[in-house]
Amino acid sequence: MNKIHFDQLQETLYHQKLENGLNVYVLPKEGFSKTYVTFTTKYGSVDRTFVPRGGKELVTVPDGIAHFLEHKMFEKEDGDVFQQFSENAAAANAFTSFTRTSYLFSSTSELYENTKTLLDFVQQPYFTEKTVEKEKGIIAQEITMYDDQADWRQYFGTIENLFENHPVRIDIAGTVETIQDITAEHLYECYETFYHPSNMVFFAVGNVNPEEMLKFVEQDQQTKSFEAPEPVVRSFPDEPDHAAEKRSELYMDVSKPKLMVGTKCRNTDMSGKDMLMRELASDVTLDILFGRSSEFFTQAYNEGLIDESFSYEFNLEKGFGFAAIGSDTEKPEELEKLIKSVLDDANNNWSITDEQLERIRKKRIGLFMRALNSPEYIANQFTHYNFNEMNLFDVVPVLEGLTTDQLKAAFDDLYYEDGQTIMTIYPSEQSK
Amino acid sequence: MFHKSELQSGVNLYTRQTAQFKTVSVAIKFTAPLTEENAAARTVLANVLEDSSANYPTRTKLRQALEELYGAVYYTDTSKRGNEHIFTIYAESVNEEYLRNPEVPVFEQLLTLVTESLFKPNLKDGVFDEAVVEREKQTVIDRIGSIYNDKTRYANKRMLELIRSGKPASLSASGTEKAVSAITKESLKATYDKMLNEDTIDIYILGDVDTDQLTGRAQTVFPFTKGTRKSVPVTASTTSEEVPTAKHIREKQDMKQGKLNMAFSTPVGFRHPDYPKMQMLNGVLGGFAHSKLFINVREKESLAYYCSSSYSSHYGLLYIMSGIDAEQEEKTAALIDQQIEALRNGDISDLEIRQTLALLSNSIRSSFDSAKGQIEIYDQYKLLDENFSSDKLIEKWERVTKEDIQEMAKLLTKEITYLLSGREAMVHE
Repeated sequence: MNKIHFDQLQETLYHQKLENGLNVYVLPKEGFSKTYVTFTTKYGSVDRTFVPRGGKELVTVPDGIAHFLEHKMFEKEDGDVFQQFSENAAAANAFTSFTRTSYLFSSTSELYENTKTLLDFVQQPYFTEKTVEKEKGIIAQEITMYDDQADWRQYFGTIENLFENHPVRIDIAGTVETIQDITAEHLYECYETFYHPSNMVFFAVGNVNPEEMLKFVEQDQQTKSFEAPEPVVRSFPDEPDHAAEKRSELYMDVSKPKLMVGTKCRNTDMSGKDMLMRELASDVTLDILFGRSSEFFTQAYNEGLIDESFSYEFNLEKGFGFAAIGSDTEKPEELEKLIKSVLDDANNNWSITDEQLERIRKKRIGLFMRALNSPEYIANQFTHYNFNEMNLFDVVPVLEGLTTDQLKAAFDDLYYEDGQTIMTIYPSEQSK
Repeated sequence: MFHKSELQSGVNLYTRQTAQFKTVSVAIKFTAPLTEENAAARTVLANVLEDSSANYPTRTKLRQALEELYGAVYYTDTSKRGNEHIFTIYAESVNEEYLRNPEVPVFEQLLTLVTESLFKPNLKDGVFDEAVVEREKQTVIDRIGSIYNDKTRYANKRMLELIRSGKPASLSASGTEKAVSAITKESLKATYDKMLNEDTIDIYILGDVDTDQLTGRAQTVFPFTKGTRKSVPVTASTTSEEVPTAKHIREKQDMKQGKLNMAFSTPVGFRHPDYPKMQMLNGVLGGFAHSKLFINVREKESLAYYCSSSYSSHYGLLYIMSGIDAEQEEKTAALIDQQIEALRNGDISDLEIRQTLALLSNSIRSSFDSAKGQIEIYDQYKLLDENFSSDKLIEKWERVTKEDIQEMAKLLTKEITYLLSGREAMVHE
């Protein structure tokens, strides 16, 4: 067992790597009533072409399968796993992202019964043609629900515009058509390949005794048999630097047009501290250029180009990275011009000062400290970082060491000729 | 849980010293009667106060000051509860203990910034700046309009307007576009004066700070003028309308999914002794993944991704919301009706009761794991019991029987079935 104490944060993280390859982390939090426990596989919607466990050739599976598998994990021969969690007073859930599938519960009692339920249901798949067919109607409604959400359509539309080949451009849940092709056999194939303990992380945070929990998980895993760990072979197509589409538009039943500017990262082949530094440098740069204290924000807000819906974000994973900046706006053309002029100006006359960096550095350190109040944030963010060999608890020291040169390097990687796209959604009556 | 001190009649300070969080939080809540005009004016005021202050006369200066305080949070918000309109200022900063060499006492400075924004706002010639007021009016109008983009929320709002037109249950906490448009810089100053002088006020401070010391100087930190502050009288907002037959309304928009919603009225509201029984009913019916609606509409029949119920106790209403293929409306509606009938017939298992009790208990206990959760839950339940604790509430749920739930179900009156769905063959160029 490793025990890592973070003095400034006053947190202690416990870690153990089990024989079957599973990484187990526990972070006790004094004063908390609940324990939040996640069990996550490094498997998301982008992992669509891979060598199945025991196989030799690459296969490509139907779009939306990681998410479909997540749904189907909850159904067992003797019923629905939610029933068991409810009986033991746990709120359970799961989510699938581009790169992860996470199963979780939160409870204020019966911690070990619930942990056992979590470990068992994720490690005992049960798929039949009948249960797979039944799920198609439910997921079709989920997809349809998202189809009506303009924010969602715009975000994924922007990603689709940016990437020509990388599977990040495919909807996480697939489409109503692609999920029709999914079979129980596919689910087993994906399960066997990606749900090996060596491809997973277990994280418990909150009201928990670390030694007890580590021991409990270890003993549980010893009672189960697993094949030897084997690295997962994934394949990704080559992705050019330029954005696949310069712009696209969509007409939906919205009250106001929506504009989003997307910009693509050139270099994403990194991991560990380099990646953390790049991510934080990009976040800080965007804060300086577009944050609520920026010149841009004041001008755009005063001129009515943006409203409360304005937001920006940066995402980086091995293989793909992008920033998205957007708002509801009555003047999409003017807003597009202003965002581009801010980016062009930073590109041509880089002028971010140490004073600006200091202020945003403080803001980001505070933001991180505040986030440590949230067990959900700690578990999810830690796991996300862990899969990219980063350490969540390096955030403060890396922020403390950031220089304006690092911001410039991050910006240069994010903003270059032909690496941008515009996605606009107009109210549908304007299409007539 | 919170320690209460009365600063004057109608102004109370609630403090809680705890090391659970890495932050210190302060919330100031102003309560006034809920009307369309009040809601609109106070929401615009919330935005205007958050924009700037006499000391930080522009949005940029104020935001930069917050960034310097290690990204301290400061925002305003409005909400409603029964026939009350609540204006909330919320602020939070990192406890200095976790910062390496902070040059300033962070929470103290934040508290000063917040109280300055409240007591020394950014005025010109005794009124608010016209440009700021006009811009924030537009922001609030945009916010009111944006509900249209979220079809799930929009369908529920429409349904409420159809059954509780002009009543607190269907009023938006942001008011209406018409009421916002009527606001002037002078009227907003009057709204501000009235709020400070006539509202009842609850102040919360929570975190690892010297709460005794803060309480000792609270009169100076929060110098509210002595005035007549009357709390909003509780009206019997839960009495249901005369409904001979339930309405059945279908509306269309340019969308793909059908939103099938229902509303039932109940004479049992938040202050009613049977309130815990209704909470249990809602849990058995549709609050969770073990509930009847989830199991029967989603899991057994694959009709929906979501089908759930929620109990709006301050308005004596129970809603059901689902997202379906509109062609399955009749089938889904019948299935939902069957679940209500099952409750009325006492078709409720011990397991369902056990699971619901377990998850309600988990939910209330978990809500205390965030600073905001502690403030909001206490602020609500203190209306029933100043010495509220989650254990007391859980004890009440534990006493609820199958027969109680059955009895509650018999008191439900269906008022409306509402379907919002797509137009056929929408074609765009």
